[in-house]
Amino acid sequence: MISSFPPGLIMMIGALLIPFLPHIIRQIYMMVLILLSAYALTLGFGIHSKINVMDIEFIIFQSDTLTLPFAIIFHIAAILNVIYGAHEKHWNQHVAIMSYSGAAIAAVHAGDLFTLFIWWEATAFTSVFLILASKTKRSYKSAFRYILIQVGSGMFLLAGAILLMSETGSAEFKNFDINSLYGQLIFIAFGIKAAFPLLNGWLQDSYPEASEIGTVALSTFTTKLAIFCFAKSFAGTEILIIIGAIMTFYPIFFAVIENDLRRVLTYSLNNQLGFMIVAIGIGTELAINGAVAHAFAHILYKGLLFMGMGAVLYRVGTCKASELGGLFKFMPITAICTIIGAISISAFPLFSGFVAKSLIMSALGKEGLVFVYFMLLFASAGVLHHSGIKIPFFAFFAHESGIKTKEAPLNMIIAMITASTLCILIGVFPSYFYEILPYQIQYQPYDFSHVVGQLQLLTFAAFAFICLWHFKIYPPELNSTVLNSDWIYRKMIPGVLLPLLNLINNINKKIEQLIGFMFMYIRKFFANIMIKNKVFDREVGQDTLIVIQLFIILLIFIFVWKIYL
Amino acid sequence: MKYLIEKFGKTNTSVLFLCIIFLILELIGHRHGETSIEDILFFPAFFGYVSCIVIFKIGVSLRSFLMKDEDYYDK
Repeated sequence: MISSFPPGLIMMIGALLIPFLPHIIRQIYMMVLILLSAYALTLGFGIHSKINVMDIEFIIFQSDTLTLPFAIIFHIAAILNVIYGAHEKHWNQHVAIMSYSGAAIAAVHAGDLFTLFIWWEATAFTSVFLILASKTKRSYKSAFRYILIQVGSGMFLLAGAILLMSETGSAEFKNFDINSLYGQLIFIAFGIKAAFPLLNGWLQDSYPEASEIGTVALSTFTTKLAIFCFAKSFAGTEILIIIGAIMTFYPIFFAVIENDLRRVLTYSLNNQLGFMIVAIGIGTELAINGAVAHAFAHILYKGLLFMGMGAVLYRVGTCKASELGGLFKFMPITAICTIIGAISISAFPLFSGFVAKSLIMSALGKEGLVFVYFMLLFASAGVLHHSGIKIPFFAFFAHESGIKTKEAPLNMIIAMITASTLCILIGVFPSYFYEILPYQIQYQPYDFSHVVGQLQLLTFAAFAFICLWHFKIYPPELNSTVLNSDWIYRKMIPGVLLPLLNLINNINKKIEQLIGFMFMYIRKFFANIMIKNKVFDREVGQDTLIVIQLFIILLIFIFVWKIYL
Repeated sequence: MKYLIEKFGKTNTSVLFLCIIFLILELIGHRHGETSIEDILFFPAFFGYVSCIVIFKIGVSLRSFLMKDEDYYDK
């Protein structure tokens, strides 16, 4: 019975009981829910559950070689989130995380767009509570913007699904043509969640405002669900190569000047999504494997980095580079785990980032996309700069901040050590990792050229940073707000639109007054002529006059129409 | 060696030595890249160093018009 349940659904339903359980039992209960959900993955590939509503068939549980790696990593991430958040005694974030993880896992197994739409919106409505959990004025405002944008994305998806249904008679979740209108609507829906350029503002706006537990969960599911959807529906769509290349490129500069280290990580997240989008755009078996491998590895190391910064936030109360520094001696385990995450994201050999990113770079090389290849190589140096060095350096080393604190809680340490171990295991044993990817390929990331080339690139980029810092060229981190694409709807549109709306409102009032005056005048005119001259042989009410006036206006309108048109 | 450690610190000196080791490795073995440009001697080292400096320079120049007060959106 449980096995025919879509994976994730049991987590969503089971989350309803969480508020009624005492703390420790709740943690065990959540683990059991995740394991029960994961059990459904053993069913193998194919369509496992369908329901019929009003003669429309909804495929609520289907699995294939693409769903499997995403389902595996989503379950692993859900377990890590439960461990990482175990110190939190209140139930509200646990309910949100469990239902959010469940919705994302169920979405991956959706076989049609309507089912996907339901889970798509469910991820939005469940995850918003993680932003609200910060209980600050900024987080409330940010959560409001977040939910508007996420629901907006769902509306595009629904519109695309309805159009597809009306055109083809089926809303099956499959490969779509970007040249069709429904394809474009679905593309935009996925693009919003994947934080495409200019559609990315919500990501940097909302994630750093969430609680320390919430950001870890948020970094896992929403954007990677979008990556899964792109891999399923738009593999080989060439425009994705351009979009992805831009995504890898521009967030680097924002990350370099950003002061809030969790916000730096969101720019880094955006940059990493770019690598995946490029790979999906290429669309070859090697590239799709690269995209999936990168999503898999990225969830672990980005989650690990967010865990590290979450632990700092939990203990110190801030994640601003300008206020941090010298925490290594107080939080050595957190620091070491964060450094492992930083090394992994930088793609050093023997770490997960290297074995995943190599697939994408090789796919680009094989397709002869030289310019994009160098853009991504440049972005790789950027990743080292902002995530590989900036995050651990400013938090745990740099200057002495004078902050005295203690190590992260035990549950956080366990989650971080587990994630660190997985990052290393994937890097050391890539062949096992490659076995779960959608396509069976023969690929060896550890050859002399790859390893030496990558080590040269990274060590010299690190050396450049050292030179900048040592010779005091690197400017100090400042408390600031870095403008991003959310500026368009937070400042520009209100700045332009509100005065424009006021102007339209004023003009509207003037026109209303003018029409009112004209009606009054016409009414008086007819009243004077008709009543005084006894045009009617009986009492005339106002209604009759208004009908006559309207009739005359209609005659004038027809007259003008005939003459001029 | 002692001079370098005193002048630049242990970590920085270690990174410098790693850089030298990876350059020597290229001279020992035959490295080839995904593209022909990468086959140029020490190309990844050069590319990594220059990229980092370029990123820093562009980032710093963006500060003047992208960086606003911390309460910019709260005003």
